[in-house]
Amino acid sequence: MKYALYPGCVMPTEQYAYEMSIREIMPKLGVELVDIKGFSCCGEPIKSVNQMLTLTLSARNIALAEKEGLDIYAPCPMCHLALSECKRILDTEPKMFERINKFLEDESLKYKGTASLVTTVDLIHDKVGLEKIKELVKKPLKEIKIASHNGCHLIRPSEIGRPDDSENPQKLDNILKSLGANVLDYPEKLDCCGGLLTANLPESALTKTGQKLKGIQDQGFDVFIDTCPWCHRQYDSKQTKAGETVAAKLDVPVLYLTQIIGLSFGISKYKLGLDLNQSPVEKLSIVGGN
Amino acid sequence: MSIVDLTSMGESQVELRKEINDRLSKLQDEISDYCYQCAKCTSGCEAHKLLELEPHKIIALLKRGLIDEMVNSEIIWTCMSCFKCRERCPQKIAPVEVLFALKNMAVASGKQIPGNYTAMLQSVLSIGLLQDIKSVSTKDNKTKTRADLGLPEISKPVDSSKFQMILSKIAVEKV
Repeated sequence: MKYALYPGCVMPTEQYAYEMSIREIMPKLGVELVDIKGFSCCGEPIKSVNQMLTLTLSARNIALAEKEGLDIYAPCPMCHLALSECKRILDTEPKMFERINKFLEDESLKYKGTASLVTTVDLIHDKVGLEKIKELVKKPLKEIKIASHNGCHLIRPSEIGRPDDSENPQKLDNILKSLGANVLDYPEKLDCCGGLLTANLPESALTKTGQKLKGIQDQGFDVFIDTCPWCHRQYDSKQTKAGETVAAKLDVPVLYLTQIIGLSFGISKYKLGLDLNQSPVEKLSIVGGN
Repeated sequence: MSIVDLTSMGESQVELRKEINDRLSKLQDEISDYCYQCAKCTSGCEAHKLLELEPHKIIALLKRGLIDEMVNSEIIWTCMSCFKCRERCPQKIAPVEVLFALKNMAVASGKQIPGNYTAMLQSVLSIGLLQDIKSVSTKDNKTKTRADLGLPEISKPVDSSKFQMILSKIAVEKV
């Protein structure tokens, strides 16, 4: 399996642990990642300013991968949503197809519509498969109580074609269960991290984050697992501040899915960027040592 | 090119406004017969409890054509685009998309863009990415760069003048 890795903005400019753990585990799962020069922002975070800009930026990124004849792996669900929406519009509206391609001419790019798109969860669950995961597990995550967080853009809007069901997503949980973990439902499971409000209402964004994490802490979960760099920035990087907004001292280990997979495969915590997590990941016994 | 071309903070962009107006009228026509104010959107809205956004009211106001009132209201900037309203509407109406159109309209009308959006936009224009590369700290306070961590050089537009030309066309087409 071969994919162009479309990194987006947040992961390659600050959420390095996600990128490191992806580059560690994907080759082991039989996924070859190809780095392409020239990618830009997907445009989704500035859709509020100018939707046309979002569409054009997404199309140009897809066009770059298509030029190399590759399908796209977008680890960030928000990027994946932007690219998917762009694909849906351009593949069904000939006028928009022409108009956007006219913009791309300056860089000698052309959107064709040949590339398919995956994100971390469907790449691992649907393309690699859980059997392969089970084969590679060296340290099963026994007795660890996990709260999983899909995030909004991974599952909605289903009309655009998302990797999992919008109300009862199971793929992320199934991957974690195949590592031997105990994944439990919780009332706040589908709640938003608030991350997109960081642009204009940062305090409210943190309150959303704090409310969800407090619920998780009160219910005695051992670890919180996410796959979105925007969500992770809220839950891990800004956890202490988020706690202050809800008058709680938060102490919840937050890991990327790709980090906990790597740990269960026996990969060193440093190669997985675990020393970059700001939440108390050392509370987990599987993080200790190596 | 400057950010002003894209956001028209200086002068209002007549064409862009017309286009967004068309988008809104289309939404208005499409939904006016369908929304029966069940408020399922508002019951699930992530911004409702915290910031008092009421998507079903947005749709009701759109039905009545009160677009300017909404464009001038700060409430449209409280949506965190969780897409629950779009997902759960029994009539397949998407308040979140109406809100995107209203925000685009506010920007095209020359209204002040709230918060960090201007900086984000400026960054996309100049380096193609939402923000520049940051060095990060480990738990024991060691500073690390991408290279320190063994990560390859970041992917960003190779020829920034050509990249900017694309973005400027989007702006120019509308002015």
